[in-house]
Amino acid sequence: MKPFDIVIVGGGGAGLYAAMEAMKTNPALNIAVLSKVYPNRSHTSAAQGGANAALANKAKDDTVEMHIFDTIKGSDYLADQDAVEVLCSEAPKIIRELENIGTPWSRLDDNTIAQRPFGGAGRPRCCYCADKTGHTILQTLYEQCLKKGVIFFNEYFALNLSVNGSRSKGLIAMNMKTGAVEAFPARTVIFATGGYAKMYWNRSSNAAGNTGDGQAIAYRAGIPLKDMEFVQFHPTGLRKSGLLVTEGARGEGGYLLNKDGERFMSRYAPEKMELGPRDLVSRSLETEILQGRGFDSPAGKYIHLDLTHLGADLIKSRLPQIREMAMNFEGVDPILEPIPVRPTAHYSMGGIDTDNYGRTVMEGVYAAGESACVSVHGANRLGGNSLLDILVFGRIAGHAAALEARKFEPAAISEDEVKDQLAELRSSMQPSGHYERYGELREELGQTMAANVGIYRESSLLKKGIAEVAELKERFKKVRVSDSSDVFNTNLLQVLELKNMLDLAETVAAGAFAREESRGSHTRTDFPTRDDEKWHKHTMATLIDGHVKLGEKPVTMGRYELQERTY
Amino acid sequence: MTVSTDQHKEGKRDVTFRVFRFNPQVDSKSYFDDYTIPVERGITVLRALNYIKEHVDASVSFRAFCQAGICGSCGMRVNGISMLACTTQVWDMLAKSKEEGVVRVEPLRNLPLIKDLIVDMDPLVDKMKHYSNWVDSTMPESEMGKKEFLVSEEEFLKYDKATDCILCASCVSECSILRANKEYVSPAVLLKSYRMNVDTRDSMHDLRLAELVKDHGVWDCTHCYRCQESCVKSIPIMDAIHGIREDALESRGMKDTSGAKHAEAFMSDIEKKGKLVEATLPFRTNGVLWTVQNLLPMAVKMILKRRTPPPPPMVKPSKGIKAFRSEFREMSEHVKQDHKSHNK
Repeated sequence: MKPFDIVIVGGGGAGLYAAMEAMKTNPALNIAVLSKVYPNRSHTSAAQGGANAALANKAKDDTVEMHIFDTIKGSDYLADQDAVEVLCSEAPKIIRELENIGTPWSRLDDNTIAQRPFGGAGRPRCCYCADKTGHTILQTLYEQCLKKGVIFFNEYFALNLSVNGSRSKGLIAMNMKTGAVEAFPARTVIFATGGYAKMYWNRSSNAAGNTGDGQAIAYRAGIPLKDMEFVQFHPTGLRKSGLLVTEGARGEGGYLLNKDGERFMSRYAPEKMELGPRDLVSRSLETEILQGRGFDSPAGKYIHLDLTHLGADLIKSRLPQIREMAMNFEGVDPILEPIPVRPTAHYSMGGIDTDNYGRTVMEGVYAAGESACVSVHGANRLGGNSLLDILVFGRIAGHAAALEARKFEPAAISEDEVKDQLAELRSSMQPSGHYERYGELREELGQTMAANVGIYRESSLLKKGIAEVAELKERFKKVRVSDSSDVFNTNLLQVLELKNMLDLAETVAAGAFAREESRGSHTRTDFPTRDDEKWHKHTMATLIDGHVKLGEKPVTMGRYELQERTY
Repeated sequence: MTVSTDQHKEGKRDVTFRVFRFNPQVDSKSYFDDYTIPVERGITVLRALNYIKEHVDASVSFRAFCQAGICGSCGMRVNGISMLACTTQVWDMLAKSKEEGVVRVEPLRNLPLIKDLIVDMDPLVDKMKHYSNWVDSTMPESEMGKKEFLVSEEEFLKYDKATDCILCASCVSECSILRANKEYVSPAVLLKSYRMNVDTRDSMHDLRLAELVKDHGVWDCTHCYRCQESCVKSIPIMDAIHGIREDALESRGMKDTSGAKHAEAFMSDIEKKGKLVEATLPFRTNGVLWTVQNLLPMAVKMILKRRTPPPPPMVKPSKGIKAFRSEFREMSEHVKQDHKSHNK
């Protein structure tokens, strides 16, 4: 295949913004987007709530400064302050740009973009389109990429980076439609593959494909992953499926109630109540359940998210998707009854370590969005900052790659390298003798992660989690792919995704065990306080001789000093 | 405080899924496999398929991603109707099944089959490109990011519902025109075109509309409403199609297309006589020359078989035509007002 200037892996918000911006920066470049799904299927579509930007449309006194402070405080001071500054100061511009290219937004009475309150934010600065913000942004970006003539390789599954010393030569990927393994020689590669929270399987709000493919590929190529132990649990997942009920539901005035009908958030965040930051609200729900104040059901214990007092009109106009989901997956109409919810693994703060331009330590390799860790979210991401992150840093990475691509020599990937990949795939498909079922392993991985590396963590639980993940990795070697077809082998695809999740689970558990403090989403019952002296630093996980090796990296500070984080 | 107890009654029964199978590498034609599995109340068709894949036959192939009804990956036909497997309850499908205890699962229609329940979406993407399904902003790129367009709630509401579309292609699969003509624009693409055309920030309304009124375009729709009935997001797709037609007729002076003329002739007949004057309809739709060139052989055959419609003077106005006319005018006025408030 003809060498590319830029190959973008992933067609969600970050990948598409990167493609659009790269085309804009230099239309002469040869740019391709590879995605394992049609780009419009990407998980960006599931983001309901909105994107933060200090437009000051709703609260006239809102400022970029306040957004920066809220984000740093929300991160429990683990975010790099220079990166947060980029995120928040680019925010108004990028939301306006999205508006200018045709993204639908809900509107205020003065016809400007509507904004609503969101957890952990001092002002109502979350820009939204009803409860389908991610969906409308993704559609718009896809439409604009079609308009600009971006080349798409849809339903291609990325397998590995082709590396020469400290340089990437491009990507090797499988065409799902034919089963062929193909080389994508490229001067630069941008990973924009989304998060890894699906390793919690049924206790996750994520799409089935959020298996951290880009992170796993980068990790296997020797690129360090940062802060992997920080996994955000969203307070309100539907009881049965883990699917998400947006924070917008609480932003619009929804209550969280225990079985005594008590608005229990008054005990944990008396000022912000239901709109406290996510880690705090999740822990509050979990505590209520652990202390016996949750509801009971065969599908597990849960809490009530009550919207009934908001009235049918508001629910229908502002939260239509939530209503649909509650009816489809729980059989509950939120106009009439409270929705059964419990915390669900939702977002991965950790990811591929990058600088503020999306660059990794490997020449020519970039990362953006949830697959990257710049870090702007630190130990806990604020609601409304993830869409913003993928847009701002997707664009920055696309711009940087477009400027830098031609500095690198055009790369070539040898036939042999491709053949090796194909042989490895084939050999993994048919173990002899006893074999394992991938579905069981996946289920067990989710269970051990939720039970031992979940909301509340503790030394002995984490040891157990690490041992169980190692055992699963061993058993994985005996997993059989029983579909022998080349065409659209989803059986093989799911096995490869499981491999990626297992590699990453090891880094999450190891990071959580090492970090002997509680910070943001990471709560150690045996180390219940934040320990700035020992742990105000990033965790770096690198693959060395087949095992995870932990290191550290300092946090970039700025004008905000460390403070206790209270709401 | 009410605690619903209904949802906790978890019934369980054996259900047979009759799944369409086709692997182009080995099969010369498609067939069905039956999988009988235990299913609890509250389980979706997608979860049942996942169970089959994990526990019974890993080779059953289908797409699934978000499993929450927003990504549009798992469009398929269940008991003959196109829908999303992830938002469809097995129990509901059993109630509608022709065969007791059996749920039939097949791929979407009107798109090329790849394998089992997976169809090729590329033709749909190609049509989105052909009909410029994107906003071409009136703002130059160099000005972007500096200020917002001001859009009123009323203007936003014109395209709000249409932007719910997740391109699951259920409407494409159900479309009766596409079954006969694969080149037809498709309901989803009409919906998206409409959404772009009513957006005040867009600059290529006229070009897009000009493409839509050509062959295989908006006039080919026969109002069967199957797209709208099957829409998983309950989008009034037919309103969009009517909106484009109305737009072509009323505001953009595209009255010289055959589709537009056909509609006008139809309306005029109904208003005058309460019924159609079929003999002259082809002339008024496509012109004398085209009709003579293309329909003369058929007309001769019809005459020989004594199947000709009555000549125009023989078509007498229907009984009660006066009362009908006033009602007709009232209705037309009402429809116009309606479109004004919805579309423009």
